[in-house]
This record gives sequence, C-alpha cells and structure tokens, in this order.
Amino acid sequence: MRIGSPKETYAADESLFRTRTQWVWFGILLLSLALYPFVANLYWLFLACLICINIISATGLNILTGYTGQVSLGQAAFMGVGAYTVAWLDNNATTPFILNLLAAGVMTTLVGLVAGLPSLRVKGLYLAIATIAASFILQFVFINWESVTRGTRGINIQPPQLFGMEFDNPDTFYWLVVPVTVLMVILAANLFRTRVGRAFIAVRDRDISASVLGINLPLYKLMSFAIASFYAGIAGGFYAYFFGSINPESFPLLMSIFFLAAIIVGGLGTILGSILGAVFMTLTPELLRYGVDVLEPFVQDASALLSPVRTLVFGLLIVGFLLFEPHGLAEIWRRVRRFFHLWPFRN
Amino acid sequence: MTMRNRTSELFLGVASGLLLGLMTAGSAIADDPEEAEVGVEADVEDAIVIGGSIPMTGVFAFAGLQFNDGFRDFVQWINEEHGGVQGRKFRYVGQDTGYDPDQSVGVFRRITSREDVHFYFGDSTAFSQTINSALNRQDILMTGASFASELNNPEEYPLQFLLGPDYSEQVGVLLEYIANEDPGARVAFVYSDTEFGRDPINASVERAEDLGLTVAETIVTPPGAADISSAALEHRRARPDYTIFHGYILSPIPDFIERSRQMGMETRFMGTYYTMDQGIIDEMGDAADGFMGVMPYRYYYDEEADDYPIMRTIREMNDEYRATTYIQAWLVGMLLKEIVNATLEAGDELTGTNMRRALDSLEDIDTGGVIGVPVTFRGNSIPVGRIYRADVEAGRMVPVSDWIDLTEE
Repeated sequence: MRIGSPKETYAADESLFRTRTQWVWFGILLLSLALYPFVANLYWLFLACLICINIISATGLNILTGYTGQVSLGQAAFMGVGAYTVAWLDNNATTPFILNLLAAGVMTTLVGLVAGLPSLRVKGLYLAIATIAASFILQFVFINWESVTRGTRGINIQPPQLFGMEFDNPDTFYWLVVPVTVLMVILAANLFRTRVGRAFIAVRDRDISASVLGINLPLYKLMSFAIASFYAGIAGGFYAYFFGSINPESFPLLMSIFFLAAIIVGGLGTILGSILGAVFMTLTPELLRYGVDVLEPFVQDASALLSPVRTLVFGLLIVGFLLFEPHGLAEIWRRVRRFFHLWPFRN
Repeated sequence: MTMRNRTSELFLGVASGLLLGLMTAGSAIADDPEEAEVGVEADVEDAIVIGGSIPMTGVFAFAGLQFNDGFRDFVQWINEEHGGVQGRKFRYVGQDTGYDPDQSVGVFRRITSREDVHFYFGDSTAFSQTINSALNRQDILMTGASFASELNNPEEYPLQFLLGPDYSEQVGVLLEYIANEDPGARVAFVYSDTEFGRDPINASVERAEDLGLTVAETIVTPPGAADISSAALEHRRARPDYTIFHGYILSPIPDFIERSRQMGMETRFMGTYYTMDQGIIDEMGDAADGFMGVMPYRYYYDEEADDYPIMRTIREMNDEYRATTYIQAWLVGMLLKEIVNATLEAGDELTGTNMRRALDSLEDIDTGGVIGVPVTFRGNSIPVGRIYRADVEAGRMVPVSDWIDLTEE
C-alpha cells in the first residue's frame, strides 16, 4: 500500500488519483500532450494519432477480454462497422462530424450486442470462434452491401470539420483524437469504480460465483460487449476520418489479432495495459525502422535486406514479453513505480 | 533474485536498451537528413527525390524487392550516365511497408517529413486511395503498383497515374485479341473475391458482349482459397473456349488448370499483368504451356530487347533474368525523366501540379523500348499491351500479338 494514502473514506478508496503527486503527474501528462504538436513533425503526429485510435480500440477490447474475460476476435470488424457508419453519413447526410462519430459508436454497439449473443452460451475459445464468425459475416456485408459500402471499390470520407476548421492533416487531427482518447480512457478507468465494472471482474473471475452473488450474467456479458463495441465504433469512426478512405480489406482478422496482442503485451485487465500495449504495438515496428537507418551506411541496400529482420525482431520482442513478463508492460510500470516510491532509501 | 527474475530483467534491459538506442540514434538521424543515407547520391543538393512506400516484406514482397532494385539501378544509371536531368540528379528513398496500407501511409509521412519529395511510388490501391488527399495538399505526383480502374479518373485522382492499362483495359486487350482470333468465342472469368479481383469484372463482361463474345460464366473464388473444387466444377459446366483469370498472382491457377486438363477441357487460359511473370513457367512447369496473358512491358529476354536503349541498359546491368516488376520501376524512371525534363523546360518548379501538366502535354513518349510503342496517356492510364504465351520448352514468354492500343478503335 502506498504511504501517505490512508484511504479514510470509501470515496478515497475508489478515487483514481489518490495523492497530490499523482495529480501533478497527470497534469504533466496533459501538458505534454498539449505541447507535443509544437515539437513533433507530421510523421510523429501521424503516429500519435494512430496510437490514439489504437488505444481507444484496445481499451474497448480490454474491457471485454481483460476485465470481463470474454475473448473476442471481432474488434477489427466492429471498427469496420463504425468506419462504414461514418463513411455513409459523411457521403449521404450533412450531419456534423461529432454526431457521425457518436452514430458510429451507437451503431457498432447495436451490432456488438448481436455479435455478443453467443457469449450467453459459450465462453473461452468457443466464444473466440463465434466472434470470428461475426467478423466474417461483417466482412461479407462490407463487400456485398454495395449501395452502402461501395463494395470492394472502397469509399472516400471527407476530413472532419468543426467551427469552419478542416482537420485534414495529422497536425490538426491530433486536436480531435487526443482529447477524445483521454476522455474515453478516463471513462473506462471510472467504469471499474462502479457496480458495472466490478460485476465485469466478478464475471471474469468465476461466472458461477458471480451469478450466485446476484449478478445477472446475460445482462453484464452483453453490456460488456456493447461497451467494447462502442469503443471500437468510435475508433473505427476516427480511423475512417483519419485515413480518408476505407475498403473491406481495411479491417482484416489480423487487425483483431493485433488488438488482442496489444492488450496481452500491455497487460490484461488494466487500463494502463491497453495504453502501453497500443503504444508498443504501433511504435515498435516504426522505431525498428531507425535500426535500418542506423545500419544503412554499413550495409549496402539495407532497406531491402534488413526489413525482414525488422519484422523478425518485432515478433521476438512480443514472444519475449509473453515469456518474461506475462502480466504485461503495465506490470513493469508498476515495478518501476514501486522502485521509485522509496528511492533512494531502499537498496 | 531468482534465476527467472534475472532472465526477465536481462530481457527487459536488452529490449528497452534496443528501443531507446534506436530512438536516440533515429532522432539524431532525423535531425540531420544528410546522414540518413537513404538511396544513392545522398550528398547531392537540389536532388529530385523519389519517395516510395515499398512492400519489401509481406505477400507482395516478390514485387516490392524488384521495385526497390529497379529504382536503385535507374537512379544510379541516370545520375552516372546522364548527370541527372538538366543537371539535377535523382535520389531514391524507399522504405518497407509490409504491404499494409496503414504502414504505407506511415512511410509516406516519414519520408515526406524528412525529405522534400518530388515524386512518390505507392504499393497498393488502398494506399493510393487513402493518400490521395495528402498528395493534393502536399502537391506531389504519384504512381504505383496498382492498376485499379478506380484510379483511372483524373478528376478524382489528379496527381496520380498508372503504369500501363488499368485492370479493365488489360482484360480489354485480352478480349480484343480473342475477338480477332476467334469471333463469338465463349469466355469465362475466374476472379478472386478481393478488391483486386473484382475490379475489372463488370466492365469486362459488358466489353465482351460488345465485342460479340459470349460470357459463359463468371466464377468467384474466396480470397486465399486453397480448395477450388466447386469453382472447377462450375468452370467445367460452363465449357468456355477461353478462361481469363484475374486477382491472383499464381495460386490457385496451377491447380485450376490441372483440374481442367484432367476433366478433358479444351479451354485456353489467360491472365493479367501480375500473373504474367516468369514465375508461372518456373513454378507450373509443363502445365503452364500455352498460358497466355497481357503484358504492358517487354520481358528481360525479349528478342528485340537489345535494339532498344533502356532494355539494353537493363540487360547490361543485370546478367540474369529480372522480373517485369523490375522493368516496371524503370518505366517509372523513364516517364519521370520525361516529365521532369518537360517541367523544367517550361521553366516551372517541380510541383505535383506542374509535373502533371507536363505529363498531359507529352505525346508519344519514348520509353526506351520498355513499352513497344511510343506512349501517350489517356486519362490516368496507358491503354497499351501485348499478348504473350508461355513457351515451356523455351522457358520463356513469347509474344503472339503486336502491341494492342485500345485507343486505336
């Protein structure tokens, strides 16, 4: 337990930030996020926006898989639903982008509720397969419902506009996606201070016991699917706006596996894990590009020769984390924090 | 500390050291692009920079590595032999995308934020669509590996062009050939259920009917399908004289052909650009004999190759066979050479819009023999191609038609 945090009231026990130091650090984080666009170039801003989109989706999946224990491989397809909702509204209605984004969330929630129905009867690997099925069905819809999705030709989306400003580049888009990401992460963290969030954890830890305790399993499982899908929908909506063009191949099954890997590497059942996992999975392959750059003067035609090595190193890093740090990056973060609690008075 | 903990700490130390080290080294390099040493001639100031999102890993790596070699060799040749264009040298900066559109966009952002890019090469249709607005905004001209019909629209894609006939036009060249050789023949289309596969089908069915051909069947196979038995049966029922594959590189074409032969069918098989590389002969062996298809470029071993300067140069620089995708990169170079020349002659800066204007003003561009006839752009494409046939005994593709220009009707 943290020193100087006596938790004298229930509110103190539940609070997200318990000490002033934590508030200060949170303030520094927000300030850094606000200053980042002024120091980063378009490439790093592009990565920041992509990381935010991935954080939103990974957070949703972590609520479903990490906290509620319902394995899902449909997150990418759900993002697709959100993306297509935004694309359709953008091309056929004059609604503002915020409304389109919310509509994407709501539409995906509805689809997620239906896709979550098998969770009432099956769990574990069986549920994973059921969500793959949902993913294939949605993929089929994306390809064949041509009047809405334009089929395999794909569909273009105009950049979002707000107060007459066009958010058409990573340097402007950043100001849309970062606040929403911060908001959604805080909402997710708050969820686990409520009965709903606690019920999710109870379902994950032992569903029969949860049921005995009076938790309505079907209700909470579906609710978890709904929330995860809402997050996926918002992420998908941002994805559509960010890339400006989507087609059915934009949301492959591999992308769902990417998110599952992100939350496993980051840390299942922790909000921080979703963030760290999404950052790791998005940023590592890009950082490894610098490895290619560094070796370029010494190796002729380094890009062609070293690119496969880059993919290999990324794979090995993931395996390494699973082997040596099964609780994910969030656990490392906790250890680092614990170390500094008493530093330098502890050997 | 237990053994496990020690191993864990060691792994974390190495992993974080690696990433931190790369980040530091990387940011040092990013601050000093001169040090980045990407491509050749890194020290040349005022260079014309060709950027590229190149799939050097992933499913499309077989082409990406050839593109990469082709650009590298072209840049070396034009700088060393000609001193660039009007004294301005070229520089090529290509990075791996893994054939993932998100990564392709990332690479575009990475390269354009570090370099003053004049021209770009993209690796997929999805990337071409996604990056379109950024190209317009940053005023950069682009071409790429995609021949999607969707991109053949100068109004929607004003700063992009294709490196040959779009997929509908490629099938159009095949249909034209069939209509001439065998009027009224029955044609079947077999295509993969992907954006790539579906691209030309509707337009081609109409075109076939316009040319007086009978469309016996259109058969779609699931993406990446290994089992094509039901499609093969459908194919057998249709009894076509010609079967056109589209949306595949190789698999499941060999299996399909073998089954059709086993069923005693006498249909002639045809393919489009990405199917028509040497791989089909090397990997299918005897079964490939007689396989025909459309190819917009000359092959490395073309009998007349040595009569044309660029084909001759390619052969001099490479002792062994080079894939058509390598030659495609040279075509990019040759077109760019003409575009840059025309733009600079007009006294304009090398912006995307100016370069596009120059491209539109060019007629009968000499590609040094890469394409057999002088080319003029129609819309965003060059609707010219030639029919080749696999001659397994000779181990090469041989031309069976002259160059077919779809605009000459």
